[in-house]
Amino acid sequence: MKRIAFPAAFVAALVLTALAAPLLDLPDPIRQDIANRLAGAMAGSPLGRDEFGRDVLARLIWGARASLGVAFASAALACLVGVTLGLIGGWMRGLGEILTLRLVDIVLCFPPILLALLVVTLLGPGAGTLILVLAVLYAPGFARLTYGEVLSVRATDYVEAVRALGASTPRILTRTVLPNIAGPILVQFSLAVAAAVVVESGLSFLGLGVVPPTPSWGLMIRGGRTTMAQAPLLLLWPCLALTLTILAMNLLCDALRDAVDPRARAGGGRRRIVDRVLPGLFPAPRPAAPGLSISHLSVEIDTPKGTIRPVDDVSLSVASGETLAVVGESGSGKTLTALATMGLLDPSVRVVAGQVLFEGRDLLTLDERDLRALRGKRIAMIFQDPMTALNPVMRVGDQIVEAIRAHSAAGARAATDRALELFRRVGIADPEKRLRVYPHEMSGGMRQRAMIAMALANNPVLLVADEPTTALDATVQAQILDLLADLRRDTGAALIFITHSLAVVAEIADQVVVMYAGQIVESGPVAAVFATPRHPYTAALLAASPDSNDPSAGIPGTVPALHALPPGCRFAPRCAHATDACATPPVLEVLEDGRESRCVRRREIFG
Amino acid sequence: MSALVELEGVSKSFGGEGWFDRTKPVQALRGVDMRIARGEALGVVGESGSGKSTLGRVALGLLEPNAGQVRFDGASVGGASPAHWRALRRRMQIVFQDPFGSLDPRRRVGVQIADGLAIHDIVPAAARAAKVAELLGLVGLPPEHGDRFPHEFSGGQRQRIGIARALATGPDFLVADEPVSALDVSIQAQIVGLLAKLRAELGLAMMFVSHDLRVVRRLCDRVQVLYLGRTMEEGPAARVFESPAHPYTRALLAAAPRLDGPRRAKLLLRGDPPSPSSPPSGCVFRTRCAHATAECAAAVPALREISAGHKAACVHLERIPPL
Amino acid sequence: MIWYLRRVAISLLLLLSIAAIVFFALHAIPGDPAEVLLSTGGVSPDAATVAALRTKLGLDKPILEQFATFLFAAARGDFGTSLVDDYPVIDEIALRLPRTLELVFAGALLAVAIGLPAGVAAAMGRDGIFDRVASGAAALLLAVPVFVVGTLLVLLFAQVLRWMPAGGYVAFDRDPARHMLLLTLPAIAVAKGLAATVFRMARAATLDALSRDHVRTARAKGLSPMRVLLRHVVRNALSPVVTVLGLQMGTLLGGTVLVEYVFNWPGLSTPLLRAVEGRDYPMVVGIVLTVSALFLLINLIMDAIYALLDPRARSA
Repeated sequence: MKRIAFPAAFVAALVLTALAAPLLDLPDPIRQDIANRLAGAMAGSPLGRDEFGRDVLARLIWGARASLGVAFASAALACLVGVTLGLIGGWMRGLGEILTLRLVDIVLCFPPILLALLVVTLLGPGAGTLILVLAVLYAPGFARLTYGEVLSVRATDYVEAVRALGASTPRILTRTVLPNIAGPILVQFSLAVAAAVVVESGLSFLGLGVVPPTPSWGLMIRGGRTTMAQAPLLLLWPCLALTLTILAMNLLCDALRDAVDPRARAGGGRRRIVDRVLPGLFPAPRPAAPGLSISHLSVEIDTPKGTIRPVDDVSLSVASGETLAVVGESGSGKTLTALATMGLLDPSVRVVAGQVLFEGRDLLTLDERDLRALRGKRIAMIFQDPMTALNPVMRVGDQIVEAIRAHSAAGARAATDRALELFRRVGIADPEKRLRVYPHEMSGGMRQRAMIAMALANNPVLLVADEPTTALDATVQAQILDLLADLRRDTGAALIFITHSLAVVAEIADQVVVMYAGQIVESGPVAAVFATPRHPYTAALLAASPDSNDPSAGIPGTVPALHALPPGCRFAPRCAHATDACATPPVLEVLEDGRESRCVRRREIFG
Repeated sequence: MSALVELEGVSKSFGGEGWFDRTKPVQALRGVDMRIARGEALGVVGESGSGKSTLGRVALGLLEPNAGQVRFDGASVGGASPAHWRALRRRMQIVFQDPFGSLDPRRRVGVQIADGLAIHDIVPAAARAAKVAELLGLVGLPPEHGDRFPHEFSGGQRQRIGIARALATGPDFLVADEPVSALDVSIQAQIVGLLAKLRAELGLAMMFVSHDLRVVRRLCDRVQVLYLGRTMEEGPAARVFESPAHPYTRALLAAAPRLDGPRRAKLLLRGDPPSPSSPPSGCVFRTRCAHATAECAAAVPALREISAGHKAACVHLERIPPL
Repeated sequence: MIWYLRRVAISLLLLLSIAAIVFFALHAIPGDPAEVLLSTGGVSPDAATVAALRTKLGLDKPILEQFATFLFAAARGDFGTSLVDDYPVIDEIALRLPRTLELVFAGALLAVAIGLPAGVAAAMGRDGIFDRVASGAAALLLAVPVFVVGTLLVLLFAQVLRWMPAGGYVAFDRDPARHMLLLTLPAIAVAKGLAATVFRMARAATLDALSRDHVRTARAKGLSPMRVLLRHVVRNALSPVVTVLGLQMGTLLGGTVLVEYVFNWPGLSTPLLRAVEGRDYPMVVGIVLTVSALFLLINLIMDAIYALLDPRARSA
């Protein structure tokens, strides 16, 4: 908000001053007084006199009136015409679209000053001509913007809903479409005003804009040029006024644009080195087998609503040849945990506690160079959406080859051969051809296979797969899961599989960790956990799963927001078994058989 | 008694329409039939490119088919007069997939729910607030929530609001277009339960579009399976689930990972789904079907009846071993 | 390839439309065209002069015939003769166009050479000192109109410091050193707006590219930062920059007119401004059409570069 306030105040003050010009007690800006030409500051003229003896300050203020008047008038006219055209083109499509948009495109092709000069040639200079010319120049911008916004709003479900309700077109346009595009149009208006001030002053400078004796900043600069040697200040005052005005307007435009299209920025701050806080009072991490072991990892983000911990004291481990599933719904912290292990967190996310032990070293303390040596070679990651995870402007084969050559001394030929072999291994038909295509030319399933191939390129000992099948069709998902299971068996790698689907977990994993609101609530071997869950959340998830036998109606309530967590057990508000004992934060306890649970009432509930 | 909603031989293609649109036309639907009786729930299942969402919109009259007939309560939907069109809009409504895009971010939810009431003048302005409160209660939300804006609600709550909005005009027919796909598992079951309850209480006919067979099973009386714009199989839900006849239905059922461990039968499909703009000749599924023969490329197989109300479009039905 | 031919065809169509607008604009003004052209300063011209001009411009023929004649002549490069001094318009254009082009290219080159690396560097060190200073400078540069910059440059370097001449021109083959010296200040003035715009776009595009999933994938593969930067970030960020270059060409050309005026650079602006004041319509038409054609050509080149950078555009 602060960003808008200052420029807006400046512009508002300027506009008010300009509007009030006739009321202020100013000397006549037009009356010449040759005797006092080029005088410095004197009584009644704090900024001196110009080359004709006219008062500079008065001319500045009246010049503001002329420039701003032309600018606002032309922007308003352009807005009216342009938005109407854009609405017609965007809503009606068909013939209306052609007429409005293609005609508008032609105007956009003209370099603006040339169009202005053309019209001035025919109509002669003057404020009226200027307003017309500027309106014609900027209307296409409004039309194009409105057209684009209408098209995208049109495709939204809420507009379709209103259509389905039977609303008439005028009603839809005025109540639903226009309010939702008003923001960008406002931004465009401020841009048009700023641009109009620039063009008007340029034309006046050339002597082809506002006609003397009406003052205008451009005209003042034109006059000031001739007396540059004797009176440089005369030149500087209008330059300063013009620059400050345009600067304020530009800042206002930018601030408006940001306000209209906000992007969540989770607090500033670079990543700090890990604080080695005391790991806590709990048992040591699981015995180190070759594999990965995360202990007491915590991660924080600063948000406008406070600092949150999307990963809170998470410990898990996976041995080689084993598959560990990390299950949770959105907001459980499972993806962030995975990213943290590879040091791929966004800079705004801080690791505040914990260790990630891999091959005898704590990954969180390694510097970037050492981490890079591991990434893609010993630990590889498969991401959720292969369409965005692959570089759209690079051939797929090149991206695989790149991964290979980053970690080995293989030459281009050898690397290509290996890529071919990998493609065959993951079941991509016609691998020679497929190496040369771009990601958008592949189907979803094939892209994911390519991603898997890329992850396997250097025979990693640990694979981290972040919801690799969520974005795929059911039948393709089945193929990919099968492929992953095969590969894991063949290579003996450890696999961490992140998902929200319990059924997938049942199919592919040996061990499972269940996360809720940033914490682990239960863990253990898959078969045991699914047969006899030891946390109400796990039990409820199992029951709510689409192919469970119990047709219950899901889990009531919603996952708590991380900045407004309940004081005790985070699941208590939604738990059918909650009692007063749940008001104290429960601790993750290790059970006799190596399983873990965070429910204090588990014995009463589950026996 | 005739069905409430009847579609016959409906085809719909997209693209290549505008003078400047150079994309190749894509056939979303090819000669699809669909019937829904009063109070009946039909599940329409398919993967991406199957045309299921398009079918829903054609049934509602929001999209005009390139071929075929669409009838609602006996009267044709296409070419309806403006008055008839408005009357139709009261009787059929839609619930969308995306809880975050289906509500206007600029207006309070109570106002949006009341849209239908205002447009069709169902209750006088003074009584609208009470009706909105009633609708909110029907979907399990407290009445004071009507004053809030959409961004203040979670995904599941927004879906409830969307349902309330759809019910405002008192429709006989509701199209639910993947209403739970974008929600967390625990919320999915809540919403499905709500829809089942509303259906029972209000006697709604429903078309439930989904890619997840298991969700459909809970809610629907009948099921229709689409692939690349054609019907592969249709029939009573229980039958289709217990003894799926068409190879595609079987693959779909087998593909769903199960809670009780790895899949029993390995019925993996070969290859990737073909592109909707250049489908295979004859049976559109043949390129991925384990049982395909030359016969399958020759002609589009017709829907054949296997038992009462259960049909499938495959020439090899007899030869495929039962599960 | 076909899509590119379509673009060329559309460009030709646009040029034709511009010619039509320019031609019919004269007739769209209320009043007789010849009288309009001759009435400067509110003084009505005498009938004989008006009649002479009508015959000269062929205004007595049917309008479509006029248009056809105009089009065919224009395609050959014949824009008629100046109403002021009766010399062929095309001669004047041929003489001055190369000088304007030289200024445009010098300015564009300078703008990209400064703006692009600065924008990428600012994005990489986001919110750091360099970023803040550079972004502030860009905002300031965008706010100052180009003729103000030019005038102030003259004030500073010619008037106050006396390091450079205030303006003028000497042919390259006559005195290369002085030619380049005289080119410097005007080129800087022309470049100022574009440099700021390129900077902003490069910064925004780089930030966007950095946040993309495929950059995370690249880092996950263990690639070196330089490789990630060049092949995965900059390459993807270049396309929006190319787009904005094409879009800004119009503003750049307009700025060149003003800069030439300030520095007395004898390009197209001199005859253009003289023609506007004197209502020398054939001259104005000739220059406008030539510059528009130039503008469209530049955009076609930008399209080709864009397609080279982003293969998705080729199939669109």
